[in-house]
Amino acid sequence: MTLNSKSLAVILFVVLFGGIALSAALGWWQTESSKVAATYTEGEFAGQANPADIRGSYTFGDVEKNFGIPAALLAQAFNVQTDDPSTFATKELETIHAESALEVGTASVRLFVAFYNGLPFDLSTDIYLPQSAADILHTRTLTPEQLAYLDTHIAPDPAAPAVDSAPITESTPEADSAERLVKGKTTFQEVLDWGVSQSVIEQILGAPMPNPLTTIKDFCTAQGLSFETVKAQLQAEVDKAK
Amino acid sequence: MKLFGKRLFRPHSIWIRKLVQWFFFLLIAFIAVNHTLVESGAGIPFLSSASLHALCPFGGVVTIYQFATVGTFVQKIHESSFVLMVIGFALAFLFGPVFCGWVCPLGTVQEWMAKLGKKLFKRRYNHFVPTRLDGVLRYARYLVLAWVVYVTAASGTLIFADYDPYFALFNFWTSEVAVGGLIILGTTLLLSLFVERPWCKYACPYGAVLGLTNLFRIFKIKRAASTCKADGACSILCPMNIPVDTQNTVRDPQCISCLECTSEAVCPVAKTVVFTAGAVK
Repeated sequence: MTLNSKSLAVILFVVLFGGIALSAALGWWQTESSKVAATYTEGEFAGQANPADIRGSYTFGDVEKNFGIPAALLAQAFNVQTDDPSTFATKELETIHAESALEVGTASVRLFVAFYNGLPFDLSTDIYLPQSAADILHTRTLTPEQLAYLDTHIAPDPAAPAVDSAPITESTPEADSAERLVKGKTTFQEVLDWGVSQSVIEQILGAPMPNPLTTIKDFCTAQGLSFETVKAQLQAEVDKAK
Repeated sequence: MKLFGKRLFRPHSIWIRKLVQWFFFLLIAFIAVNHTLVESGAGIPFLSSASLHALCPFGGVVTIYQFATVGTFVQKIHESSFVLMVIGFALAFLFGPVFCGWVCPLGTVQEWMAKLGKKLFKRRYNHFVPTRLDGVLRYARYLVLAWVVYVTAASGTLIFADYDPYFALFNFWTSEVAVGGLIILGTTLLLSLFVERPWCKYACPYGAVLGLTNLFRIFKIKRAASTCKADGACSILCPMNIPVDTQNTVRDPQCISCLECTSEAVCPVAKTVVFTAGAVK
């Protein structure tokens, strides 16, 4: 049997698009993640969606679907000005709060959701919320431990007048330290550049360091490590290396 | 094929392949643009807005290890990549790396650059690299493949995306693209002025995988020695520099099943170089 180019072109289209159509009919053709948060596997909250699984790609709408918190309320909590809060991706928070000396990002949304819904959450690391989010949470029922954590983890609003907080100038050590913050987009290379050795990094990771250009957060997510824990340990080493 | 009285393709070329290449280039380009538009709140209705990773069959290949060991996909890879990988392999088992020669938009862009190179260098085009060096360099894509599979398995992330010229080609306007990818894309396009499909020949890890199917594909390029005039036209015009005129059956892993060497295109003798599942006399 001999094929010419026209026959091959037809077969190519049939196999390619037929295969896609078949896989779609079988429910296998997924071009994006399902955006369904993992659930608690044990304890009182087993079966409920776990806010620790909120990813940067989740929109406020996805958070609303998973946790029942209105997207508009999330936008209000995190000072997001948009006509359609349901399409706002949580990973964009880092951009909006880029001026803040303390990171406000996806982890902040996880914390907010956990406190808002009264769900268990690991408080061993430092995660910060804007004042507006804290104000909303103060209207909810929080445990004394959660209240204490909340009151000590408020990120100063960069847009707020400086009279409420101690002024920080670029030449102060505090400003220098702010530039060396381990954030969601920080790569291993940056941490190396800040004077932390590879062996120390690997000790914290408990695994070989990947390509230095990998972001720490991506690595932690892929390896199932708690980014917040790794971040805190790396930050301590960065502070030591100064 | 003519348009406004002008010939669109050179005589004796597989013109339908060029149309197919154009189709897939435009399809992927529109989807990539739509992906950006959707992220900014706009978007073209009825057109997929999938990410490029979701539409890349090689994504399925690099996530095999994680899927087999952990049961999850590498970040940014989805079920669609797996489906495309299976389709790509099915096509390759039948026809060889037909994906490379007919579908891959990066291959298409390299061929467009080749047109310019051919005008500049005429017959010297695609014959600059010394044969021995070329032979050694052709193994480099297997090293790239091994490296990509290893780093993806070790890190669980798509590290190759930072170096992937295909990703850079359709994301150069976004902040997602890495400088490394842009540099490799630029280098590939520049080299395409001298060498046809340099990325495919020397570095493409997906081509390295698919190329192996040339050893056992069902439909093969075959040459009928009894009618062959041995004029070497098939070898001279082969974009991958395969000496077709010295082989009865092309099993070279570099063949991309473009059919440009066949009697339907450059070979002047009918039924002498054919794409067949049977035997030739």
